[in-house]
Amino acid sequence: MLNYLIRRVVFGFGTLLVITFAVYALIRHMPGTPLTLDLAEMSLDQQISSSEMKRLERQYHLDRPWYVGYWLWAGKLFHGDLGRSIKEKKPVSRVIGERVPRTLLLSGTSLILSYLLSLPLGLYSTARSGRLDERVVSTFLYMLYAVPTFVAGLLLLVFFYKDLAGTPFQLEPGMFSRNYSQLSTLGQVLDVAKHMILPVVCFTYGSLAYYSRFIKSNMEEVVRQDYIRTAKAKGVGPLRVLLHHAFRNTLIPYVTMIGLTLPALIGGSVVLEYIFNWPGMGTLYLQALSQRDYPVIMGLTLMFSALTLLGQLLADLLYAVVDPRISYQ
Amino acid sequence: MPESPPHHEAASRVPVSHSPGFWAEAWGRFCRQKLAMTALVFVGLLAVLGIFSPAIVGTKPIICHYKGGLYFPAMGYFRESWENPVFITDGVIYNYPQKLKEKDPQSWAVWPLIYQDPLRRVRAGEIDGSTGNPIGMAGQPSRHNLFGTNDLGEDVFAKMVHGTRIALLIGFVSTGIAAVIGIAIGAIAGFFGGWIDWILSRIIEVMMCIPTLVLILALISIIEKPTIWHLMVVIGAFGWTGIARLTRAEFLKLRQLEYVAAARALGFRWSRLMFRHILPNALAPVIVPITFGIAAAILLETTLGFLGIGAPDKTSWGRLLNEGKANLQMWWLIVFPGAAIFLTVLAYNLIGEGIQQATDPTLKASKH
Repeated sequence: MLNYLIRRVVFGFGTLLVITFAVYALIRHMPGTPLTLDLAEMSLDQQISSSEMKRLERQYHLDRPWYVGYWLWAGKLFHGDLGRSIKEKKPVSRVIGERVPRTLLLSGTSLILSYLLSLPLGLYSTARSGRLDERVVSTFLYMLYAVPTFVAGLLLLVFFYKDLAGTPFQLEPGMFSRNYSQLSTLGQVLDVAKHMILPVVCFTYGSLAYYSRFIKSNMEEVVRQDYIRTAKAKGVGPLRVLLHHAFRNTLIPYVTMIGLTLPALIGGSVVLEYIFNWPGMGTLYLQALSQRDYPVIMGLTLMFSALTLLGQLLADLLYAVVDPRISYQ
Repeated sequence: MPESPPHHEAASRVPVSHSPGFWAEAWGRFCRQKLAMTALVFVGLLAVLGIFSPAIVGTKPIICHYKGGLYFPAMGYFRESWENPVFITDGVIYNYPQKLKEKDPQSWAVWPLIYQDPLRRVRAGEIDGSTGNPIGMAGQPSRHNLFGTNDLGEDVFAKMVHGTRIALLIGFVSTGIAAVIGIAIGAIAGFFGGWIDWILSRIIEVMMCIPTLVLILALISIIEKPTIWHLMVVIGAFGWTGIARLTRAEFLKLRQLEYVAAARALGFRWSRLMFRHILPNALAPVIVPITFGIAAAILLETTLGFLGIGAPDKTSWGRLLNEGKANLQMWWLIVFPGAAIFLTVLAYNLIGEGIQQATDPTLKASKH
């Protein structure tokens, strides 16, 4: 087991090196640099002289070829330094650190909600399988799954932001109200909570539909097993059969899914944060890409890939934990 | 053996050797699923709509007789160069109905069903009784503009009909590319095993970890003049990992079966083993994720259009939604393209599920 773990971690680091190298090569080949894009936005009297430009280029190692730049970046990373954001003039770790809790607020809430809601929904649709009410619920969930989040998000905005404008039910995009700083602590919490409603709904409905279908299809496989029939035959009540005998055996795939949601949990959703102007990881990502803020893009890529790898490892380990038949040599 | 379809009378007459093949049987099972068939018909209708889009809505004649020659200006919607340059030099292209008559009184033309253009605003006086397309908030859905108009006065219905082409092409081309790459790499990895498998699996792992958005954005911006075709290639070239993993797993499983060992003992070369013996049996489970891949590709393209990145194609459904985000009051910019994307994605999901039901005999028992 330990052997397996060490091997996975070593390969993981190798994979990370390859990924960051590829991404660095790609973004350095995108036209424009953070400095030239900056220049385009400035007015004429603010233009920096060419000697100043040279100095800045040297400072950010933009005058060197990209592979040297990668080498320098990786060297700093080795010492635990992600570099400084060119745009925000702050360390990348702080820029990302500021955003993580905000994204986690959305994705964490939504993850908990979808897990909590999908369990009863999935069990309910297994228990009522084939009945009219189950067909209606399942069909609705299936259709919900095909609604793209950006369509749902826009429609929600049209209704709650535009149509309900002026009523107390109006919900705004963004994370804070304009008078946020003047509110009391409780008021601030309530304000953020109010702004969270729409993004969390959008974040949740898709995974809710997916998870409950997932539970149902796993349950349907288990319910056909012989030991379920045995349990029924010896007079165990239907609820106990469902929960105690059947459901416990569907836990394996369900648990492993937790590992796979890890990157989405912290990476957030670019589209959703873009729609609702949520200042989280997704918007940072989009912003860094369009501004060619290389250190930030690299920091985000590193974090995202590391989380993906970690999630896969976690899923495999959880497999072994919940299923004693699986062992890693 | 899966049970044969209920053809009792036919079975007594048909010789036994003519038992239906796997795909014929799967097709038969597919046809019996009403939802999946409806979805297939819907996608077929979309394809028809896409192919005939210039004939359905446009401002260029389908056929016209002009200065002694027959022309097909509507083909210009497929490709600009397919519109005869004579119309450009004569300055006809932005007002066919008036200018054709003006330049050549003898000319005649067959027009599309609806006179609206996906790429520009129809101005006042182009056709009789038209006051030109309204702009912005005034452009609510009406008799002239079925789905309303956008900020520039361009007709939303025309854009959506012409956008079907993009949606379908994106789905088929990029998923086709992804399928070819994915099946090839998965087959090689699973068939040969050993260090080849090790290297290919690491490559797949790396590809799965690179954020799609960075990849697409970087590649698109490196290309000097990105078109929708570049986008298709990029989406396809990076969407094959799931297919490759599945194919690899199937090959790993199948290559250990006795019939493969028998074929190997007969001295067949590896290429024959791979393509003739294993691939056909590995295909059925791979087709399902390919179908879902089509839906995912369409979704990805509309997402990119919505975020305002990717190819600047004016008719993409995602672009309309992007305009809708900037003008939330203009609900018709959101509702109609949103519904189109939803229905298309739903249709492909249903087809995928139908194929799954039809090709997997073990699932039949679960039908309640």
